[in-house]
Amino acid sequence: MSFIAVILNEIQLLARPALLNIYFAAAAIPVGFVLAIFLALGKASHNRLITALSRGYIYFFRGSPFFIQLFAFYSFVLTLNMSVWRPLGIDWLILHPLFLGPAILTLNTTAYTAEILYGALATVPRGEVEAARAFGMTQAQRFRSIVWPHVIRIAWPAYTNEVVFLFHATALIYFTLPVIGGQQDLMNKAGELFERDYNVFLHYSVAALYFLAISLVIFYAFGLVYRHLMRHMPQAAPAKFSMRRFMT
Amino acid sequence: MLDLLPQWMRDGIGDDVAFWIGYFTNGKHLAWYASVQFTLFAGLFGACVALALGLLAAAARNGGPWPVRFVAAGYINIVRGVPDVLFFLFFPLAFEQAVEWLWATQVCTPESIAANPNPWPPCIEANWRLSTVEYLIMASVSLGIVYGAFTANVISGALLAVPRGQLEAARAFGMSRMQVLWRVHVRQMWIYALPGLSNVWMLLVKATALLSLLQILDFVTLAQRLGAANYSAIAGLVHEDWRWRYYLVLLIFYILVTFVSEKAFAALNRRVRRGMPILDGNAA
Repeated sequence: MSFIAVILNEIQLLARPALLNIYFAAAAIPVGFVLAIFLALGKASHNRLITALSRGYIYFFRGSPFFIQLFAFYSFVLTLNMSVWRPLGIDWLILHPLFLGPAILTLNTTAYTAEILYGALATVPRGEVEAARAFGMTQAQRFRSIVWPHVIRIAWPAYTNEVVFLFHATALIYFTLPVIGGQQDLMNKAGELFERDYNVFLHYSVAALYFLAISLVIFYAFGLVYRHLMRHMPQAAPAKFSMRRFMT
Repeated sequence: MLDLLPQWMRDGIGDDVAFWIGYFTNGKHLAWYASVQFTLFAGLFGACVALALGLLAAAARNGGPWPVRFVAAGYINIVRGVPDVLFFLFFPLAFEQAVEWLWATQVCTPESIAANPNPWPPCIEANWRLSTVEYLIMASVSLGIVYGAFTANVISGALLAVPRGQLEAARAFGMSRMQVLWRVHVRQMWIYALPGLSNVWMLLVKATALLSLLQILDFVTLAQRLGAANYSAIAGLVHEDWRWRYYLVLLIFYILVTFVSEKAFAALNRRVRRGMPILDGNAA
């Protein structure tokens, strides 16, 4: 086989596993985003208890490695198997990696996204909110028409980075969760192929290529959304890949 | 461990407490506590490698001849576009194979290659068995390479944030380009780089959890072994599956490290900003 043919064959082999990574990310992102909105509002709330709880949740998940979170939650869910999941008859769902993987990923991304949104919430100009209040808008109206549009514009570039990091984090899932019925992701498949012929350069490079390509697609798509969000601004800077994940 | 306590203290604590003290200080647990050293070593050594590589790559990207600039930009962008775990696994394997290949060109004979049934290494003599320490160094270096790219990104932003007048003044004093870079540019850059560097450090610390993937007996592997349901023929079921409790301890460990790092970076940030009029220069 020629060099090109080998690469093409490899790309074909890893196409289905790549879909699994995309599935993990796609399943976790929308749920995590919605939960993060509530968590960010919780962190910014005036109720001390709610603030403390939200703060604690965010600190816990941002302060510890996702790799160990996976281990901890998976083994925790396993210990509840006989006493809770089995009697309820939902063990097949709860213990399935296609459910549990995105679930733990969601817990994680909720914390990171909430921190980003919370940082953006702090930048909402007070005057605008007060003016809306003076107009007699209810709290829900103020949030929908004043606060949220501001927050999402400020948070979007950082959220783009978070989504890419989340996509990269999907690579860790099958180091912990069991593979069922040949549903392998990129890392798992690349590792298996490597153990067959020890060709580390071919298998891992093509897997890396998939991650790189999908990351670029995410940047492009999220950049388009950002352009749309900023369409009222004359020259908005495009979203750049930068280390904003921790900087809100 | 219980033997170390004076008699009156041993009498004072109940049997239950004595049992738990004995349990948490048995040999396996002590080995578990000791294995923190691997994680700390990987974190600190990896950070040094990352900082060195980051400075090098940032300087190369911002002011080298175009091929150097191209290579630096490629390194920074490709490594950051790929999951850290992939590169973390790839680099040690690739390095090992490269060394084995070089070695094989020296020691392998056609007969020994023909006699070797395995796809790799080419012959038995060229096999390089890595010890734990070698794996640990390899793991630290690959952490350094991955997070060196992130560091380079932060530093290259910080280099651009240094006011141009400072550099022009240094140039006007007759310093050479390298002197300006090292004596003025790099030294003023830290203030702008520090917030970003603290973030990269947090990422790197959390990536040290991956050591077990390179067959290092770090505290993740040991927690798994300690926590797994423990049967023995004599004692019966010692304990059932306690793994999540052990992992919870690890999570708390990492949160503590994060907490301490945050405080340390905040103090450092205050210190480097003494007398600086800038408000908040975030270079990231």
